[in-house]
Amino acid sequence: MYQYDNFDRQFVQERVEHYRAQTQRYLDGKLSEEEFLQLRLRNGLYVQRLAPMLRVAVPYGTLSSQQLHKLAEIARRYDRGYGHLSTRQNVQFNWPELEEVPDILEALASVDMHAIQTSGNCIRNVTTDEFAGAARDETIDPRPYCELIRQWSTNHPEFDWLPRKFKIAVTGAAEDRAAIAVHDIGIRVYRDDSGTPSFDIYAGGGLGRTPVIGAAICTGLPVKHLLTYLESCMRVYNRYGRRDNKYKARIKILVRAMSPEGFREKVEADWVHVKDGPGTVTDEEIQRLESAFTEPPFESLEEATDNLQNQRVAHPGFSRWLAQNVGLHKQSGYAVVTLSTKVTGIPPGDVSDEQMDVVADWADEYSFGELRISHEQNFVLPHVPQASLFELWERAEAAGLGAANKGLLTDMICCPGGDYCSLANAKSIPVAEAIQRKFDDYDFLHDLGDLDINISGCMNACGHHHVGHIGILGVDKKGDEFYQISLGGHSGHSGTTASLGQIVGPSFAREEVPEIIDRIIGVYLDNRVETVNGEAESFLDCFKRTGIEPYKERVYANADKR
Amino acid sequence: MPTLIKGKEGQWNCNPDTEEVDWTNVDTFDAGKPLMLKCDDEPDAGMTAASLIGVEFPAFNDGRALSLAVLLRTRFGFSGDLRAIGEVHEDILHYMVRCGFTSFQLSPDRNPETALGVLTPYSGCYQGSVVDPDPAFRRLSRGSVNS
Ligand code: SF4
Repeated sequence: MYQYDNFDRQFVQERVEHYRAQTQRYLDGKLSEEEFLQLRLRNGLYVQRLAPMLRVAVPYGTLSSQQLHKLAEIARRYDRGYGHLSTRQNVQFNWPELEEVPDILEALASVDMHAIQTSGNCIRNVTTDEFAGAARDETIDPRPYCELIRQWSTNHPEFDWLPRKFKIAVTGAAEDRAAIAVHDIGIRVYRDDSGTPSFDIYAGGGLGRTPVIGAAICTGLPVKHLLTYLESCMRVYNRYGRRDNKYKARIKILVRAMSPEGFREKVEADWVHVKDGPGTVTDEEIQRLESAFTEPPFESLEEATDNLQNQRVAHPGFSRWLAQNVGLHKQSGYAVVTLSTKVTGIPPGDVSDEQMDVVADWADEYSFGELRISHEQNFVLPHVPQASLFELWERAEAAGLGAANKGLLTDMICCPGGDYCSLANAKSIPVAEAIQRKFDDYDFLHDLGDLDINISGCMNACGHHHVGHIGILGVDKKGDEFYQISLGGHSGHSGTTASLGQIVGPSFAREEVPEIIDRIIGVYLDNRVETVNGEAESFLDCFKRTGIEPYKERVYANADKR
Repeated sequence: MPTLIKGKEGQWNCNPDTEEVDWTNVDTFDAGKPLMLKCDDEPDAGMTAASLIGVEFPAFNDGRALSLAVLLRTRFGFSGDLRAIGEVHEDILHYMVRCGFTSFQLSPDRNPETALGVLTPYSGCYQGSVVDPDPAFRRLSRGSVNS
């Protein structure tokens, strides 16, 4: 993991003091609501429906056990004993006092953390593959370059007051778990023929009101040019992005208006002036960051195949968890473990202070002190010896983190929605819960296979509903909460690029949603065929083959009886 | 009356803005005259002949003038006084300084003392800027940690 040096520490400390002084000026009546809003947003503080919400940055989703213990302590001391894992790999606290936020930031700084640029119209926390540095399908660990971008974008003098928020995602694996196609800028990193890290840059992707897949604007960019190229992209966006209408202010609208070629030309015209300038990344800096993410001291272990097989036979629950939540590690004898937060009755992504503490302990015991937060709002222990999996599973079960549902229907992505968020059209958490209650039979869920249900409480799409296999969006119908359902979206899984879901038709009342999901699943089960390798066709493949018509038919059949 | 903050020999001072500037705009500009730009004006090399350039901030959270300032300084090499005008808010000053502004006409509702106190809240920054083109990784030896 990256360790702060003296410079990082001093900067974050000065940021805390700067924000403390701003808060004091607000409390003294010297800053208006609107002025302070802009300043507090750049420090992750929203004012939600019920209370302020503080979003803590977890850079590219990587945390140390010590940092997670600190988050647990903050949850106890300043919140109501829980925190929320967000869909952008961050951690949110829903009940801090505005006056106490500088103290929380001070506590975060003590473990090299902050809440800088986790909201506001600026470059947000860069996200990546939650299995970075561990996954077997990875060509290069993207985190050194994420850290490079994090530092460059922090408190940037020119790009902290953009037309709109700006999200960058990076991936370095075959399967794009970072969903780079639906980010303002998506970056794919790989090694070129000479072994140097190279980058493909995509611009103008995004979800929200006008979902768009990003366009490739640069390929094969050598690492030393990464920051100057991004600088030029940001400058073109900062100068020409729309500011008259916040719904048309994201970079995707600009790229569409200019056309991807037009945008690229503008960027290149700017870049010739900064390319090879002082912003060019030095070899020493690349080495420094790459060496911060070297492999942990793995032991040479055998694949524990036989042993695991025996444990599976004896414990069907373990067997399901292993099949569903444990992934291949690039180091033999190790595994990547997802600890699911998706338990019926608990809002997706919510974790208690005790859970944070035990997960931090497990990270120390089983995973070299390191853990991750996934955009599916789960914890990940990236480097677990296979011989410890059974023990870990038993402990996870006891702590309410052992659900064997990663990627299954009940592993829903869900934004905070109307229960917390002042922008919401509708609640999302009760919808997730009602669906979890309807589908609580593990065997049935496993038979269904991978199925992403993503729920957003409004067009802002924090729950990524456009890229859910089944997407659920809260809409307002004459003051009542309704839900629009879309089908066939995905964020770039299994080696394919992302695609956006198609809307089935008129929206539904909240109590109808579980039944509608049931009908959709019925259509899938009736239509799915066996694939060449004898497995059941996935929901997505089946949907692509049949199209939306059979779903429409069943979902709206005898609508009057619903 | 608005306040004018000006930098001189590394010192910032503020005084009531009594300067009577006879601004021109992009259409009426002549070499040697003070030029007032809107934040969406396109900069060009001819502008470096201005005696003073003002750039207008239409709102305190509009960052376009920051990019315009960077271009005037680094692309066209304007070396005269570059003044922030309009919605000039104390909390944006530190960004403005780093983007090459050298004087600020502070909105009348802002407190000049507060503004002077927040001109440079950070002893060091990650990126290069107009005032210091080198990023931290060129400026410093990164990686040292005091225990
Ligand atoms: S999608 Fe809408 S309701 Fe949900 S968290 Fe985002 S802004 Fe709030």
